[in-house]
Amino acid sequence: MSAPPPLPTTTHHGKGAAGLALLVALALACTVAPLLNDGAGPLRADRDPVLTALTDGRGSLSFALLSGLLGAGLGVAWSGLAIALGDRAERRLMGAAARLVALPLALLVPLGVGLTGGGLPVLTALVALSAAPLVAGLAHQDLRALLRRDFLTAARAAGRSKGALLLHHLLPNAVRPLLAAGAIALPRALAVESLASLLGLGLPSSVGSWGGAVGVAARLGDGLALVPAALLLALSLWAFHAVADEALRLAAEGPHGGPSNGLPGGSAPDARP
Amino acid sequence: MTPPTHAATAPSPHTAAAPVSTQALTLLAGDRVLIDRADLRLDAGQVLSLTGGAGTGKTLLLRALAGLPLPGVTLAGQARTDGRRLLIAQGGRLAPQRPLALQAADVIGHHLGLDASAALRRMADALDRMGVPPAARRFDLPPERLPDSLRWAALFALGIAVGPAVLLADAPAAGLDPTVRLRLLHRLAEWARSSATALILAGRPEDGLDGPADARLCLHEGRVLPTPPIPDPLPAPDHAHHPAGAAVMTAHGLTMSFPMGTGPTGEARRLTAVHSLDLELVDGETLVLLGESGSGKAMLARALLHLPAPSTGRVVWMGRDLTKADDATLRRVRRDVQPLFPDPAGSLDPAMTVGAQLTAVLESLRPDIPADRRPQRVVETLRAVGLPTDTATRWPASLRPLEAARVGLARALMPDPRALVCDEPLATLSAEDRAEFWDDLLTARDRRHLSLILTTERAEEGLRHADRALVLLMGRVVERGSADDLLHHARHPYTQAMLSAARGDRPALEGDPPSALRQPDGCTLRQRCPKARSFCAQAVPTLEPVGPGHAVACHYWDTP
Ligand code: SF4
Repeated sequence: MSAPPPLPTTTHHGKGAAGLALLVALALACTVAPLLNDGAGPLRADRDPVLTALTDGRGSLSFALLSGLLGAGLGVAWSGLAIALGDRAERRLMGAAARLVALPLALLVPLGVGLTGGGLPVLTALVALSAAPLVAGLAHQDLRALLRRDFLTAARAAGRSKGALLLHHLLPNAVRPLLAAGAIALPRALAVESLASLLGLGLPSSVGSWGGAVGVAARLGDGLALVPAALLLALSLWAFHAVADEALRLAAEGPHGGPSNGLPGGSAPDARP
Repeated sequence: MTPPTHAATAPSPHTAAAPVSTQALTLLAGDRVLIDRADLRLDAGQVLSLTGGAGTGKTLLLRALAGLPLPGVTLAGQARTDGRRLLIAQGGRLAPQRPLALQAADVIGHHLGLDASAALRRMADALDRMGVPPAARRFDLPPERLPDSLRWAALFALGIAVGPAVLLADAPAAGLDPTVRLRLLHRLAEWARSSATALILAGRPEDGLDGPADARLCLHEGRVLPTPPIPDPLPAPDHAHHPAGAAVMTAHGLTMSFPMGTGPTGEARRLTAVHSLDLELVDGETLVLLGESGSGKAMLARALLHLPAPSTGRVVWMGRDLTKADDATLRRVRRDVQPLFPDPAGSLDPAMTVGAQLTAVLESLRPDIPADRRPQRVVETLRAVGLPTDTATRWPASLRPLEAARVGLARALMPDPRALVCDEPLATLSAEDRAEFWDDLLTARDRRHLSLILTTERAEEGLRHADRALVLLMGRVVERGSADDLLHHARHPYTQAMLSAARGDRPALEGDPPSALRQPDGCTLRQRCPKARSFCAQAVPTLEPVGPGHAVACHYWDTP
């Protein structure tokens, strides 16, 4: 049999591509910012508010990546466990996720940091936990929709073993929706960390953070330092959201242009709270 | 191109100005001719059906007649309508969350200048005409919380209440069960005739719009043509196909039920979709399961395949009891009995090519075929169902509906089965594709001597291809017999209604089917049945023989 033909091209990825390009540009700029003072000279970015903000971005972006990925992993594991346990346990686990999503978790993170005394590991865990219920809800919805699809019934009718069903049919089709559900954890992690840092209960000042920089600038009334940090934070949040939206859209489109949810045209349920 | 002679309406003696008339109406999208010189004339009180497949321009033509903008489309020729005109758009667009009463008051008030209470009185009269009983009128609810049938009835009633001179309905009552759809369409047509409204019903050929109409036109390649009289694309019942032999599949006391949480007193509640049903499939026969939504036919088809296993009861294939079967036995049975699904495209794994999916079937069900012979086998089976061999390299998303249906059939045929259980396998196909796929299915059946179980809501179409049929209503068999018996001597009011709807006639059933969660006591048809008497509420009728191989579950099947 010859190789599969080229995949149908997907279109209208403008916003997602712009978001991704912006994120890459920001990550690059944040990485090189410390080096921009007279070429390779010592760090003197504090003289330039834009360079200072870019330098602070290293902390914010890398923390968002770390805690976001952790939150995404936790959320996906949460939904997977719920489905594996089935019935009553599933209802309870997902009911708990829905109730947690309804709580102002973003405010509970600084509270938790304040009560426990803080530290990077505690902050990371709390931010990840604040993102996990939302990811769990989305991932559960996607996995349940996938499990209802007739192609899995058809595979069972074709005598496929449970292992083959999982490996060859379920997992390849679950990757996209689960990645898309996980992607929502990144902007959430950035937003929650920024809020905690703004209140002085987030990343330590040695690491640097946009939220922290905005907080300090606001307290000092330093508009020149506040604007670049706030602007970069807003841009990053927009870019993360654009990428997450695009991921959801691609997941709804399904692999190779087919709908992932069995609906004509791949219309995905709007799962955002 | 030869000029069209005319696009006829029903012959009319009237010479007065017709409420709808067009002269050489042409719709162009750039250089492309969408509608080519259509001449239409529709008199007051006349009902016209305008049918055509997807993309034939029905909606554009209606919009042109309604005087609505046609973005990107140029109009040439003349389209004239006299008097107030109203278009019921595709899908029946009502604001989903605004209570019906407010929408009725808005629409009727806007057209007739009436205040809210006068508008609602008018709406109530119109609902009367549509046969919606007062108890079912939920003016306070938004349309999204109404059952589809009631939403359509309300929409038609809105049209009636406004009382236009011209009513244009685009895909009216689409998606409803045939018995419900035809009842509503006939009521609308009767109102149009009695109130001298010109009514155009536009939709797909298979939607049964020709039945209530006085004049029938179809759109074909941009031309408006008279619909051929009584189109009959189906072959007559195949009397040469006489199965005889042993039963290959039997089902005893098969029940499908699902947990529904707990009731107010803490007791576990279950929804029963199939009630203790017995069934037998004879070698080489085609058994059709007729029923509309909620009849349990799809559940039954899946239970027969143990996908999933029935809640109680057992299925026996060639002496093997599936309830007690281990994995190896079940796989052996799956090799013999394969399914076809209602959405063929959705039943294909989007992440695997067609060839990989067909090969996977051979891997698990035909390990006796060496790996190096599998590609050849895939190619042969694709060819056998009329697909080119390069289909094997395609992704499911790139298949057209007919191709997907054929791939589904090829996959089912891969292990060389002895029976197919087909759950509405033609549901997603257009009229032309249906005819082609029927051919494919029947050819496979005859060449391979397959037994078929086939579920459908299209009574006449199903019976014409079947040897025997079971008619299902809310999970129970209400009539059982040979296809010939059911086609010509149906005894049960529900079977008769399904056949009437399939022929475009007005079914004798009134009202809507009850909710599966609140089934009435006794016979589940009694709230709609024209023959119902008080005893029907007291006992669920059981099947009683009325002829050789013919049985009916109705207390009064022998009363006229
Ligand atoms: S039992 Fe009564 S309600 Fe049911 S179909 Fe017969 S006559 Fe109608």
